[in-house]
Amino acid sequence: MLFISVIAFADKPKTETVKIKTSAICEQCKEIIEKKLTFTKGVVDVDVDLDSKDKITTVIFNPKKTSVEKIKKAITAVGYDADELVADPAGYEQLPGCCKKGGVRE
Amino acid sequence: MYTQKIYKLLFFSVLLFSGTAFSQTETVRGIVLEKKANGKTEPVIGATLRWENAKKGTSTDTKGEFSLSKSSPNHELIVSSVGFKTDTLMVHSLDFVTIYLTVQNADLQEVVVKSEATSIDKMNPIHTEIITTKALAKAACCNLSESFETNASVSVSYSDAITGSKQIQLLGLSGNYIQTNVENIPSIRGLNTVFGLNYLPGTWLSSIDVAKGAGSVMSGYESMTGALNVELAKPDMAEKLYLNTYGNSQGRGEVNLNLAHKINKKWSVGFLTHASTLQTKLDQNDDGFLDLPLYTQFNGINRWKYQSDKLMAQFGVKALYEDRTGGQVNFNPDIDRNSGRFYGFGSKTQRYEFFSKTAKLYQSKPYQGLGLIINGLVHDNASYFGFKNYTGTQKSLYSNLIYQNILGNTNHQYKAGLSYLLDDYNERYLDSTFRRTESVPGTFLEYTETIPNKLTLVIGGRVDFHNLYGTRFTPRFHAKYEVSPNTQLRLSAGKGWRMPNAIAENFGMLVNSRQLKLVGDAIRPEESWNFGVSLSHDFYLFDKKGMLILDAYRTDFQNQLIVDMESAEFVRLYNLQGRSFSNSFQVEVNYSPAKRMDIKLAYRVFDVRNDAVTPSGELTLLPKQFVNRDRFLFNWGYATKFDKWKFDLTWQWNGRRRIPDFSDGHVHSALSPTIFAPAFSNINAQVTKAFYKWDIYVGGENLNNFTQKDPIIAANDPFGKNFDASMVWGPVIGRMVYVGMRYKIK
Repeated sequence: MLFISVIAFADKPKTETVKIKTSAICEQCKEIIEKKLTFTKGVVDVDVDLDSKDKITTVIFNPKKTSVEKIKKAITAVGYDADELVADPAGYEQLPGCCKKGGVRE
Repeated sequence: MYTQKIYKLLFFSVLLFSGTAFSQTETVRGIVLEKKANGKTEPVIGATLRWENAKKGTSTDTKGEFSLSKSSPNHELIVSSVGFKTDTLMVHSLDFVTIYLTVQNADLQEVVVKSEATSIDKMNPIHTEIITTKALAKAACCNLSESFETNASVSVSYSDAITGSKQIQLLGLSGNYIQTNVENIPSIRGLNTVFGLNYLPGTWLSSIDVAKGAGSVMSGYESMTGALNVELAKPDMAEKLYLNTYGNSQGRGEVNLNLAHKINKKWSVGFLTHASTLQTKLDQNDDGFLDLPLYTQFNGINRWKYQSDKLMAQFGVKALYEDRTGGQVNFNPDIDRNSGRFYGFGSKTQRYEFFSKTAKLYQSKPYQGLGLIINGLVHDNASYFGFKNYTGTQKSLYSNLIYQNILGNTNHQYKAGLSYLLDDYNERYLDSTFRRTESVPGTFLEYTETIPNKLTLVIGGRVDFHNLYGTRFTPRFHAKYEVSPNTQLRLSAGKGWRMPNAIAENFGMLVNSRQLKLVGDAIRPEESWNFGVSLSHDFYLFDKKGMLILDAYRTDFQNQLIVDMESAEFVRLYNLQGRSFSNSFQVEVNYSPAKRMDIKLAYRVFDVRNDAVTPSGELTLLPKQFVNRDRFLFNWGYATKFDKWKFDLTWQWNGRRRIPDFSDGHVHSALSPTIFAPAFSNINAQVTKAFYKWDIYVGGENLNNFTQKDPIIAANDPFGKNFDASMVWGPVIGRMVYVGMRYKIK
């Protein structure tokens, strides 16, 4: 019995992966989004790909603790569009100048 | 005008080509420019560029241009040049890069440090270790005296078993010989020497520079073994709100609240506040004495800052109140003081300060600068140690005017200035009064010659006209030689001097039944030469970055105030007769075996000796009391992504040290045997869990629970002739656990 339970425990919780289009521009944007999601409940790993056309954010998460909807909301909360959701104005206002729309990636 | 046109043409042609021709090779090309106030730009010649984690770099040519090969994992490009702020930028493509550097007036403006927890300032010709906020967060508790836990060069110890004051030590000599500045204003000196470290809360600090050996002449003549410069949180850079609370198993509680507000583009205002208290009577070793004094401290700074293109001005006020009570557990200061019933210690400090810093900036000539620092303070202390009463008042005025400019180009820079220091001391100990007014106008000149990527030479000197001790010349010399892009060799030599405050700097010598005795002539200024050599080398081991630092220093005293405890009934104070020196050698390895993991291993050895004068007048060369010859330091730190979890562990081993023979009636002679205190270890650890806006941390100090047995001699008879609480060489208190939280709004 003990042996079985150990194996069951070692089995990692099932995770899902989602790719979300964002309005990130620069390295600072990447950091803001990655930091926010790192501290979002249920998120296991996050990566913002600045070289991709739509600044795809890949999120690995535990579906028991969070949902794609919640993850997108977390992204909009810090001021970025996430797929069909538009950036939260309050979060957008706080972004550094270079991260606002029309900003240029250095 | 003509050259500028050509240069513009070149710039654009390079820009045009960059997209096509250069993208085929894995080479990044670009230009480094300096923006002038009139909107024009000028190339920066000889700026160095290097990828983070890369061994080799390049530098800009006479047009400010560079090309640097790029391998795919390298994104962080570090750009630096003498006289400019070092910049790190992200480069992801092979597009032509245009980099604008901002001018740095290190002495007039702040330097923003973004790096690993502790690092060597690579640009600085003086061997300087930088302790960042990241390293400060490793040791959560609580103020400057506790901020050196993970630093190999500075060590901290309690000075006695009653007052709770701490001493720092650098190169084998006590903190008195370190010039400690707060934002380039000499701060921990005079009557503030003993408790001053406790008056700078950890949450106020943004970085600490530890410069070993002779310092720059700019901030005065008092740096004899080194210089600390502490930078505080700035109103325009810091978090809008930073709240920290802390509590520990000894009953100490703390609240720190920092506020920063930008009023408009030019003005900002900041508040740094602190309140802490310890009201738990703690006597772990059952000797009837409090292991730590009870205390309450209130402390605050209000600072205003104005920044425009032409002018930077800061001014503010500081206020401090602290009350300490210690001694026997049953001592009640209201009833028992001067009664002889119970032994008591009390110390009340009030300190008020005003400061202003103004810098005129020349946007069209960024290497040029004019700055003025003014600081005024009143420091008041009233203390008692059993029947020994002490009061002291210090009034000081400090001003420093610095002008910097270049000769031809930025490879030849100079700084010149005028300073004025006024110290007015009025002290009373037992039935004697000591009054002293020092008035010291001074002037200094420092010249820096740079051969880019090769050699930096700094030659400085100052002349001070002391009203009591005459005209004094203080020369200093520094050199940094780049053996290779990864190896730097530094040399330094310089003189330093200071006027000691015999009583205020030696409170720890008053908590005993010894009689304080001045032997021979009146105390003269302490004087020393310091010589040093250091080598820092970046290396890669298994593809991971590391750094090796080797250094050796010697301090040679021409005069020193010797605090002699070799006769059990006295503390004898006298001017040095004969020799006094300190040799120090240190080796330190920093290595990052994995991402976000840092390991530090350091060993240092001291040889500190001075000639003591026996009562019969002979000289005997003795190893300095309470200084351990050997010390090991090991630090391990690991953080998960975005510091969600942080772990930190420090282990220190302190070798044996000589202590004075305190046996009844002992008088030291050349034939007396040497007595040693044993070696001991000290383990500290901390875990931090971060949330999006706040952190909580739990940690422990002295986890191995080592304490010095019977730190107070004859504790059962505090008014008897053998009572002595000054013989402290190890921790007085055992294991301590703390918990705290930080909340930040950016």
